[in-house]
Amino acid sequence: MDHNLELQLQESDLKLRSGEHMSSNSIKLISGNSHPELAELISKKLAIPLSKVGVYQYSNMETSVTIGESIRDEDVYIIQTGTGEQEINDFLMELLIMIHACKTASVRRITAVIPSFPYARQDKKDKSRAPITAKLIANLLETAGCDHVITMDLHASQIQGFFHIPVDNLYAEPSVLNYIRNHTNLANAILVSPDAGGAKRVASIADKLDLNFALIHKERQKANEVSRMVLVGDVKGKSCLLIDDMADTCGTLVKACDTLLDHGAEEVIAIVTHGIFSGSAREKLKNSRLSKIVCTNTVPIDLDLDIVDQVDISPTLAEAIRRLHNGESVSYLFTHAPV
Amino acid sequence: MSDDIVIFGGNSHPELVKLICDNLGVHPSDVTLGKFSNGETNIHVGESVREKDVYVIQSGCGHVNDIFMELLILISACKMASASRVTAVMPYFCYSRQPDIPYTSKGAPIISKPKEVYTFESHPGTPVASSLLTRKPGSDSGINLDKNGKGLPETNHLEHPQPVRVPQSELTKTPSSSRIPMISGKKNQEIAPEAGELFNAQNSGYKLWVAQSGTLIANLLTRAGADHVITMDLHDPQFPGFFSIPVDNLYCRPLVQNYIQHHIPDYKEAVIVSPDAGGAKRATAIADALELSFALIHKERRSQLLKGPPGATLTSGGTLPLSSKPLIRQLETPLKTPEMRKSSSSSKIIQTTMLVGDVRNKVCIIVDDLVDTSYTITRASKLLKDQGATKVYVLITHGIFSGDALNRIRQSSIDKLIISNTVPQDRTIEFLGKDFVDIIDVSRVFGEAIRRIHNGESISMLFEHGW
Repeated sequence: MDHNLELQLQESDLKLRSGEHMSSNSIKLISGNSHPELAELISKKLAIPLSKVGVYQYSNMETSVTIGESIRDEDVYIIQTGTGEQEINDFLMELLIMIHACKTASVRRITAVIPSFPYARQDKKDKSRAPITAKLIANLLETAGCDHVITMDLHASQIQGFFHIPVDNLYAEPSVLNYIRNHTNLANAILVSPDAGGAKRVASIADKLDLNFALIHKERQKANEVSRMVLVGDVKGKSCLLIDDMADTCGTLVKACDTLLDHGAEEVIAIVTHGIFSGSAREKLKNSRLSKIVCTNTVPIDLDLDIVDQVDISPTLAEAIRRLHNGESVSYLFTHAPV
Repeated sequence: MSDDIVIFGGNSHPELVKLICDNLGVHPSDVTLGKFSNGETNIHVGESVREKDVYVIQSGCGHVNDIFMELLILISACKMASASRVTAVMPYFCYSRQPDIPYTSKGAPIISKPKEVYTFESHPGTPVASSLLTRKPGSDSGINLDKNGKGLPETNHLEHPQPVRVPQSELTKTPSSSRIPMISGKKNQEIAPEAGELFNAQNSGYKLWVAQSGTLIANLLTRAGADHVITMDLHDPQFPGFFSIPVDNLYCRPLVQNYIQHHIPDYKEAVIVSPDAGGAKRATAIADALELSFALIHKERRSQLLKGPPGATLTSGGTLPLSSKPLIRQLETPLKTPEMRKSSSSSKIIQTTMLVGDVRNKVCIIVDDLVDTSYTITRASKLLKDQGATKVYVLITHGIFSGDALNRIRQSSIDKLIISNTVPQDRTIEFLGKDFVDIIDVSRVFGEAIRRIHNGESISMLFEHGW
């Protein structure tokens, strides 16, 4: 090869490495208004500052987004979770507008990081003419220009199939396992699923911890009314770990807790991924006989109850973002919790 | 009416839904609109829509994002329930323009708080032809001098950018409403200047832009399953181009003309005024049809006042004699005062308004498509009154009246406000009084449009004749 050309190539190679020549295609983190604390944690974990984005609401309630720095040809991650009794749709529109704004600002790839996927429970046509809103949300995200979705503990993992873009459904399980190992007495513990649908989730944790598990079966006399709970398994004298993917109004959890205590359980600890706690959840929990309720920080929690404990899952999300950016496998995170 | 038409009303404007249905002689169909306890919108369509022609009526007002999501979910539910065609009827189309709230140089919208007294002055004040100033003793500089003798009204209250989220009073406080501004996770009040600094300090080379969401909204509607959109008086005539489905943009103009002819005494002597250059076409169309004269108020945002076109006069007051001195020279004087220096360096963009046309001793009819913050029309009416207009009517299609708009209007020099009911106006009437506000009913136009679209007839006659 021509000596000169070789030199030139070396030079340009150096320039490339030092980031002088080309755009860096680095990670840009953008935080929505729904959960700035989580975004801050992720940004700290990755040692990448949050990008400057202004999200405003006009007095006519329309949302407006201003991107404060160049994001051309960058790898953008927008962190927005589904939360807020009054604002969930605002946050959703905010996310869509932010995605669209990034798209029109010529970014290379947009990944929506949605720890708690909104409308995840409206995932089937359970009545005539019921909307499958989860599918609609998937469509909207794609339409806005989303290239990839990172989420956590989807209510039904089939929601991944609603998308035509890749969805990484991460699990809070490894972090939760760590919590259980460090904070509970495993010798006397038993895992309990509060309904038949969650049995699989609980069985998987039971396998990993080598524990027994019990199941509560809800007998519904009328729709939307938990009437009678039947316990399958023996919990006498045991410390029960009630495990579910989300706690919303907490009706099920509190009833299940009562059932377990009535059957002679020593104490009941509830462990959920998404602590939505809407409606009268606070009062229900306050008056309940749960000794502890553990949830992750996929959604902001503002309960100020002593019994609430939080597991930080930001390392998992941060590591997923890092791996995604570098094109590494994410499956390691399904079984291991990064620190 | 054939029985394969189904009309659903959203939560935004049940009254209009009822009026439209009355016009069509059908009943609104059964739909349950609600919310789950976690805030997610919950919809249940109560009757079969299989192979039906479905119209969903939702105006983009109130809690816009909630309303819009409700519309999307409703459309998608109908589509999934095998409706043959779903038409979104949006009398007011949300996100169809960027609001004209003044911005700081950093891109944050400036929101003024409700005040006792409004000046309705643009900043700096509107240049006025010096011959008109004879009515104002003590001012000979060609600029509105205020009582303090300062050259320009203070720009101080424009210097505090206030990013606004949901007003606390209107919504019950939720856990998340206290942690609204996101950039640094600080509390509401502290964030604004901080955000400004962030935007300013490290990004001096990056020009800020505000994302336009028009295409996005169009795509979202299409993706949700809308086959057709009916709306009225879109702010941008290009907006239907964002869609890949047919958009029927109806006009309020025939109704407005009708109102002028029947309700404004001596309308033949009146002047139609467009409050900004963008609305000139709309206003001239009405002026031409009624054979009235026309005036235009021109808003100018210039980076530096001194850079005006050399020798140009900033005001042309019709037949009134203009001072021979170019106004630009006169504007230099206040600029030399130190305080003005200071404020002009912190916010480079200065907005002025000026009038083109003669309104002296005339009745003025301001015509516009939309009032949101009411900055434009309150300033315009003040300018018109200053220029000698006897009466100012304001005719508006969409009255959003957000923030303290109603308060501003009540204190402004507007004599009468006429709005259509594309957006609920109960609050407006309650606040401003029945005598002050007249409502134009658009339900007949929408009803007829729906009827014609359902029957596959042409709707173009609605553009000319109204209904």
